Amino acid sequence: MVAVQYYLLLSAAIFCIGLFGILTRRNALFFLMSVELMLNAANINLVAFSFQYGNLTGQVFSLFITALAAAEVAVGIGIVLVLYRNFGDVDVTKATTLRW
Amino acid sequence: MAETATSTVAFAFEVAPAIAILPLASFVIALFAGKYLPKRGALAGITATGGSLLLSLWVMLTVAGGAYYNEEIYTLVSTPDSFDLHFGLLLDPLSALMLVIVSLVAFLVHLFSLGYMNDEGEPGLPRYYAGLGLFTFSMLSFVLSDNLFMSFVFFELVGLCSWLLIGHWYREDAPPSAAKKAFLVTRFGDYFFLVGVVAIFATFGTATFAGAESFPTLAEEALAGSGGAGGELPTFGLSAQGWFTVLGLLVLGGVLGKSAQFPLHTWLPDAMEGPTPVSALIHAATMVAAGVYLVARMYGFYALSPTALAIVAFVGGFTALFAASMAVVKRDVKQVLAYSTISQYGYMMLGLGAGGYVAAVFHLMTHAFFKALLFLGAGAVIIAMHHRQDMWEMGGLKNKLPVTYYTFLAGSLALAGIVPFAGFWSKDEVLYEALVHGLNDPLLLAAYLMGLTAVFFTGFYTFRMVLLTFHGEPRTHTARNPHSLGWSVKTPLVVLGILATVIGLANMTPIAEATGLEIEFLHTWLEHGLEGVNSEHYGEVLETVAGYSAAELSPLLAAVFSLSLALAGAGLAYRLYSGDRPEHHTDRLGAAKRLLTDNYYQDEYQVWIAQTLGTGVARASDRFDQGVVDGVVNGVSSVSLFSGDRVRRVQTGIVSNYATLLTLGLVALLVGVGLAGGWFL
Repeated sequence: MVAVQYYLLLSAAIFCIGLFGILTRRNALFFLMSVELMLNAANINLVAFSFQYGNLTGQVFSLFITALAAAEVAVGIGIVLVLYRNFGDVDVTKATTLRW
Repeated sequence: MAETATSTVAFAFEVAPAIAILPLASFVIALFAGKYLPKRGALAGITATGGSLLLSLWVMLTVAGGAYYNEEIYTLVSTPDSFDLHFGLLLDPLSALMLVIVSLVAFLVHLFSLGYMNDEGEPGLPRYYAGLGLFTFSMLSFVLSDNLFMSFVFFELVGLCSWLLIGHWYREDAPPSAAKKAFLVTRFGDYFFLVGVVAIFATFGTATFAGAESFPTLAEEALAGSGGAGGELPTFGLSAQGWFTVLGLLVLGGVLGKSAQFPLHTWLPDAMEGPTPVSALIHAATMVAAGVYLVARMYGFYALSPTALAIVAFVGGFTALFAASMAVVKRDVKQVLAYSTISQYGYMMLGLGAGGYVAAVFHLMTHAFFKALLFLGAGAVIIAMHHRQDMWEMGGLKNKLPVTYYTFLAGSLALAGIVPFAGFWSKDEVLYEALVHGLNDPLLLAAYLMGLTAVFFTGFYTFRMVLLTFHGEPRTHTARNPHSLGWSVKTPLVVLGILATVIGLANMTPIAEATGLEIEFLHTWLEHGLEGVNSEHYGEVLETVAGYSAAELSPLLAAVFSLSLALAGAGLAYRLYSGDRPEHHTDRLGAAKRLLTDNYYQDEYQVWIAQTLGTGVARASDRFDQGVVDGVVNGVSSVSLFSGDRVRRVQTGIVSNYATLLTLGLVALLVGVGLAGGWFL
């Protein structure tokens, strides 16, 4: 059995990759992908602890998160489409008209 | 039987507020429906003041029966720990007497106005009658007041009505200007009055006139050192008596303004620009009496401070002489009467200051009647002269206007103080009181001497006025063919003429002294009353606290002396002005005439003070307002605008920046929690 620390390190690594993507990328599609990575990092955490303590609640929770992530992607892609229609690009730094 | 009597008394006091409410109703009627009424509101006013007069007489009879009333009727503001502001009624001999005077004069003036205003086709009659109604309401409420706060409210309201009515003919140049002057000058005095009211509240926690918890009683207890509630009053670093003097003088500021005493008298002669019935009602018989009445009302308080009393007496005596000297050279009949009014109120102040409470109230009463009579008589002459007021243009009206002549003569004899007309008894008593108390006090003696000198001037200018107006040959065409007078003009003149002749019999002190008869009815009347607010009590306080003592002197001697002075003045006037060409006699005064005609340059120096001092203060205040007050407000707004402009740059609109801030925030939070939780140790 693999110790829980390794799962946590893996999860932290994946989360940081996702965060790095969000902070550096300008393409909205990369944003969506990075968010997926971060969500799944959280899933790994939940599953790892569920496995550790033999409690299935964590695994059920991660199933919910997967479903939520699917819905989020649907909304996210819609936003990306509207972004493209309005600005002719999917660069998030271009859409700055809602500020002062 | 006794129960019936009690319930009648209670009922009389229950309807007492109606004395003031009735004229208020006539004000509303005249204001809103006056246009559609046959006499433009005059009838409503006559009915209302007539009703007030009847109710006042009823209250007077009830008070004569020994029943008094001192109740709160409406509380405006009440605070549990300190003071409350309320309206209330105080019905005692003094206020009952004043109620009858005010409502009677108001009734007669309303009646006279039918002839002076309606028959002459004046415009704006509903406004005029509304003003008269509001004035009567305010004045009666002022008289009914049981506390200084309520007095102040109605003191200001009568000032407002005075302003409205002086400026009745607002399309001409002079009346609006005179109205503003009257308002501003009296307001200057009222400012001190307001400070005085607040200071009295701060000192005593109450401003009621009568009762165990009233401020004169508390002040008296404080001075007597008998402990009680008045034992520990805040006196702001002064001795108790010194502080009471300050309070009395602050209230006196309002009195000087309203009763036209030196140096705030300058508004009254200008106020003659208003309609003559208004001059009779407001600027002679009642409103200007408000100041004197106020001092009489809180006499128990003034009697505690010999300094305040001496100032009252001195100002009064000085004003009596000062104003009388100016009346000597005036050409306008109403101006002569205006200065004589100022002078007569000076006598009342002299009487009050000299410890002659009854004498002053007596003079207040007789003066209200004979001065209202003289003003209404002058109004009748003005109608007859087709609205000319210059006495040089009159003359010889005696045969054309017999009713006016004889009533006016009665009023003049009363004013000059010729026996047995009303003014003789009252003025004489004022002077007698000043003399007997003045023999022990040089300041009072000086005030008495000024008052005595003024008697001569009074006799002179009064008969100069009568002779110029009614005697000799008519000097102009108008005077040869005067306008005829109606019943509404003559009736008030006759009623007041009779009163001016006989009212002095109410208090014939010299006769009483000489014969030992009990005929000093007014003395007896004012000796009654609630505990602490009657002349008997005032006399004791004057003796024990103020240290007044009366010298032994026969009133007959003083009476003969002042009567001979008045006769000398009248005789001189007769010698100079009974001829056909009286004009040049005034010119013989030379430079003095110039000085007197220009009123001792009082207006000029007051305008100068107002312009230099007033403008200076106004400019400094403006600078403070524009610089400091506005500067702070503008500064706050500029700082907000500037910092807002800078801070909003945080909102870039770029999602990545928000994400960065979010991440940094989370990291900072984690580090913070970690440090606090000791993870890194």
